Amino acid sequence: MIARGPHPGRLRLLASALAGRALQVAAAEQGSPAWTDGGTVFVDADTPMRDQIEALSVQASLLAAGSLESDVVRRIHRRPAWVRRYLAIEGHRALSANEPLLPPQVRSLVDDHVAARVDSPDASLAVARSGKAIADPPRVFGTIRTRHLLASRRGDVAATARERDALRPRPADLDESEGDELGLDVFTSPGRGGALGRWLERMLESVRRLGGGSPGVESPTHRARAGAGGGQAALSTRAPGALEEGAIVSVGARYPEWDAHRRRYRPDWCTVREALPRPADVGSPPASDRHGLRRSLARLGTGLDTCHRQEQGDDIDLDAAIEARVQRIAGTTAGEAIYLDSMRRRRDLAVLVLLDVSGSVGEPGAIGDTVHDHQRAVAASLMVALHELGDRVALYAFQSRGRSAVQLVTVKRFDDGLDTAVMRRLGALAPGAYSRLGAAIRHGAFVLETRGGTSRRLLVVLSDGLAYDDGYELAYGAADARRALAETRRRGTACLGLSVGASTDADALRRVFGSAAHAAVPRPERLRQVIGPLFRAALRSAEVRRR
Amino acid sequence: MSGREAGATNATRASRPYYVAVGNEEQVFEAAFRQGLSVVLKGPTGCGKTRFVEAMAYDLERPLVTVACHDDLTTADLVGRFLLRGGDTEWVDGPLTRAVREGAICYLDEVVEARQDTTVVLHPLADHRRQLPIERLGVTLDAAPGFCLVVSYNPGYQSVLKDLKDSTRQRMVAIEFGFPPADVEQKIVAHETGIDDNRAAELVRLGQAIRRLETAGLREVASTRVLVAAGRLIAEGLRPRDAARAAIAGPLTDDPTVTSELAAMIDTYLDDTAR
Repeated sequence: MIARGPHPGRLRLLASALAGRALQVAAAEQGSPAWTDGGTVFVDADTPMRDQIEALSVQASLLAAGSLESDVVRRIHRRPAWVRRYLAIEGHRALSANEPLLPPQVRSLVDDHVAARVDSPDASLAVARSGKAIADPPRVFGTIRTRHLLASRRGDVAATARERDALRPRPADLDESEGDELGLDVFTSPGRGGALGRWLERMLESVRRLGGGSPGVESPTHRARAGAGGGQAALSTRAPGALEEGAIVSVGARYPEWDAHRRRYRPDWCTVREALPRPADVGSPPASDRHGLRRSLARLGTGLDTCHRQEQGDDIDLDAAIEARVQRIAGTTAGEAIYLDSMRRRRDLAVLVLLDVSGSVGEPGAIGDTVHDHQRAVAASLMVALHELGDRVALYAFQSRGRSAVQLVTVKRFDDGLDTAVMRRLGALAPGAYSRLGAAIRHGAFVLETRGGTSRRLLVVLSDGLAYDDGYELAYGAADARRALAETRRRGTACLGLSVGASTDADALRRVFGSAAHAAVPRPERLRQVIGPLFRAALRSAEVRRR
Repeated sequence: MSGREAGATNATRASRPYYVAVGNEEQVFEAAFRQGLSVVLKGPTGCGKTRFVEAMAYDLERPLVTVACHDDLTTADLVGRFLLRGGDTEWVDGPLTRAVREGAICYLDEVVEARQDTTVVLHPLADHRRQLPIERLGVTLDAAPGFCLVVSYNPGYQSVLKDLKDSTRQRMVAIEFGFPPADVEQKIVAHETGIDDNRAAELVRLGQAIRRLETAGLREVASTRVLVAAGRLIAEGLRPRDAARAAIAGPLTDDPTVTSELAAMIDTYLDDTAR
């Protein structure tokens, strides 16, 4: 079969399987023998498919057999004769070691006599360096480009950095269509026209698609809550009060602080006030990956609900059974929906998101944009996703200037709708001042427990993990924050720490979040992959405490 | 019967279901059975857990009751419930209760899928008590001799969120499963499908290669089950590459790029000339 293959990139999986690790395949310069730099195999795309597969199998097997490790390669570097002789022997050894996996056509390449003579790259190298006569390797064996292999090993770090830069979300990725207008045309007509309006519209449309009800109402599925026309009920019937655009909305609550040095609490040490963000120029509204998140979060936090008048179920629904019996005796056709079933349907979750807006998040993160931008994007998408699912959700941002001035900026209270005002408040947040994380957590937990209104509660702390304030240096702050989280969990409220795009290392995060579920994601888009398991782990550990 | 405990079967077979032992799993199972211990089978999907239980049930001459667990499986689905027949209530045993009464092997497939509160009903059955309390009837059943509880689960599957409770795990004897070695797998594929040994060897080689791709973007790798499925399509007269595309590449991925790359692998490993 002589077939000119399509682009060799199509052979990526084959190469990866043979090498036992992820490998790319690319076209080499025309007429040149196959080679690899350790991450990509280059084969001549103008040769028949069969030759490409053979060449690629040899290179991938060399990688799998450890034939191209740098200590060996270094010894044959700049010795073309040794390279040829080494390849002629080691190629057979590598193929033979990979024999159980080789495609049928490639198996005929293996010279068992040669392969049996050596058992390691070092042995092959020893033979290559001896004076023995060795035939040149077949052409499909390609060549070993020692310089590229060594360079790619040395350049691992630099290459990773380049790759990261390439993956950095461009502004266009955050908002494809109206990225440019956002800064200028935001207030013209909130709700409909204008960039923010359109953005909001897009965010809210899927709520409508879900079934037209207001968020917090169960969307109907194939089975109604009550077979005989049960009503749909919102989780909270409390009328949301309007937020006045004043500065401070609460007089201030006092909270203790854990003094790690003396190992005791300092009672009434911090004063926390809820405030509204100062009116300011709105930056670009954060990106939102709500669909991905919503899918991950959809099955979370649902409680078991007893549903009456079902066609099947665990127990007999007495009322329905008696009614059916009466109807039958009276001579009418009775329904068969006479069972009680418990179904996991009710949304039973309140989430409070605490967003760190201290000065440290204003710094550029590991991949360019500020940590604040990333965190705000995640806060927005979490808020929208949870709201759409019908969970109760609140969003507060925190910063502090000393222990008597810890501020929790209200972006969305539990009873607020998700509207333009909320988005404007979120957009107006600007990083500044310091973060007294412990006090913020204590107040956030208090708000969640008193105003959340559900039995499952989750506190999400979005922070770069640098707790620092006046008289609140990093180690002390980390101990206090850890303590505050532990207190919260002891009361049966789940806690979750998230760090997005920050360069804080894992140990530092662990110092702050302790044994609470936490994760650091490099980019907001990565969140959807981890959020489901994280939420579950957090909720589950809290559930254990609650019992 | 509500029919929700889909997959409840009660089978005694004429011949031994085909199962090739890879290690000492048969001895471990038989020992556990004789000692009245419960067994948990761990391993990836499609590696032969269910077939193993069927073979064991045949060897031990016990009926087998299989329950495929799903995440809305309730205690009543396992234990039983009252139904209305005419004007009277009637108790209907669930599959677990039936197995307990008859002394059958009760196999709960993918037990982690079941609701956590459901697995608690297994506790008194799984430990030395070997009892099944039926709350609604107010009785406690002692398991008949020969009753054996077997559960299976796939540890790598849903990671953090779905795991067996420690209290449940520690009541069980664990048997680990993996994909069989190439020669055994070839035998299995040839036996299950009726294709010749060379074809089976090609399929197994392809499967082994795909299994090395776990890190390269495939969520699940080719199990023995999909290889058998491909073999059966070939036995029906399909060309090997078409069969493998339908039975192996299709089920493994939805991504068009990965699909075309898998197709390239299939083309490389499978000979499409007629024999």
